[in-house]
Amino acid sequence: MAKHQSPPELLPLTPPVFHILLALAEEERHGYGIMQDVARQTDGALQLGPGTLYGCLKRMLAAGLVEESEERPDPALDDERRRYYRMTALGKRLVRAEAKRLAGAVTVAMARLAGESA
Amino acid sequence: MTSESNPMGGFCRLYSVLLYAYPPEFRRQYGRLMEQLLRDRCRDLARRSGVLTLLRFAGQVIADWLRTTVRERTAVWSAGRKLGKRSSVTEWAGTFLIYLFATATLVQAYVIPTPSMEGNLLIGDHILVDRMVFADPGPLGRHILPYRDVERGDIVVFLYPEDVRETYVKRIIGLPGDRIRLENGRVVRNGRRLVEPYTQHTAVQPDPYRDNFPLAPEASTTPRGRDMFQHHVRSGEVVVPPGMLFALGDNRENSADSRYWGFVPRENVLGKPLLVYWSYDAPTADLQEWTLDHVVDVAQHFFTRTRWKRSFLVPRSQPAEEVGGAR
Repeated sequence: MAKHQSPPELLPLTPPVFHILLALAEEERHGYGIMQDVARQTDGALQLGPGTLYGCLKRMLAAGLVEESEERPDPALDDERRRYYRMTALGKRLVRAEAKRLAGAVTVAMARLAGESA
Repeated sequence: MTSESNPMGGFCRLYSVLLYAYPPEFRRQYGRLMEQLLRDRCRDLARRSGVLTLLRFAGQVIADWLRTTVRERTAVWSAGRKLGKRSSVTEWAGTFLIYLFATATLVQAYVIPTPSMEGNLLIGDHILVDRMVFADPGPLGRHILPYRDVERGDIVVFLYPEDVRETYVKRIIGLPGDRIRLENGRVVRNGRRLVEPYTQHTAVQPDPYRDNFPLAPEASTTPRGRDMFQHHVRSGEVVVPPGMLFALGDNRENSADSRYWGFVPRENVLGKPLLVYWSYDAPTADLQEWTLDHVVDVAQHFFTRTRWKRSFLVPRSQPAEEVGGAR
């Protein structure tokens, strides 16, 4: 993937990428933290496996949506060092654009489906 | 490490091996993190969920592994193609083999490079190794997975104690506490002579060291072998210490085994041969590495040099019959 793609080219984001960015919206997290948060966001519907999670992170790093933070232990788990990730400005722009796109799609869907409900 | 408190320890170990199906670069970058993630998740799940949840989780992880190994391999492959590099047939073949055979249980492909087990395993036999059978899967896994301890007469695959990068296949002759010696090429265990129908004797020249073991170290005795002579020989017999195994090749006169390099530590044991999936008549050097010459050779002679009769042969553990008589 090229280093500097403009946001529209990367849209729409795949569900894992979208939720990983949302997980990093408030604070930086390590891999397991992201996995737990994505499960929380989606009520357990999206369970990221290790391969999916790190495959996405690899591509997101290459595209400049996230960056690696330092390695440090998580006080809530144990004293093993874990690698943390945080969202970049480009990542933030993209997740906003994706949320907007989804909101638009939902609005259209609601309007079209309102008539045929019940 | 917290794996002691983790009932999914066996599964985590299995996962570490499954990671080898990913492209090397991906594994180097993320393998450790993925293992760590799995450990964290297993620990949390085990704390508050039952066996069924754990099994469902294991299933999800395997599905994730299958999907993403393909994805990462394809990514490497298409990136290579853009750069004009040719894709590596070996790389794909490796992944493919792991897929074919590692999905159901944990097995590993291995090729026999020496004639030391001749009679049962030939040079060029490509075997699958069952790595689960001797690996203690932990308190929970023990009820689900087939597990037993190593027994006398088992053919085992293990890491060569003098150089763990090499993998050896031999037959277990002695367990901890056993007293072993050889008399004219025949094993005497705990004072009883063994009748070993699986062995092959081909020697023309007698060799006192090999046939009347243990006498005294010779030039071909390795440092570990010398240590055995020094510390574990009592009145003309080797006594197997705790946590160790004594292993000999079936081709008794043409086998570098415990007589020369000492005991096999129990933790070096990987598993037992499951079956021969392909037997190909080729020189030892070609079998160690897939060189271009070997690929061409296989392509040309696949049908004639494949020993079809040996396909799907199952090497069997066979306990020796003990007869009295010897002191």
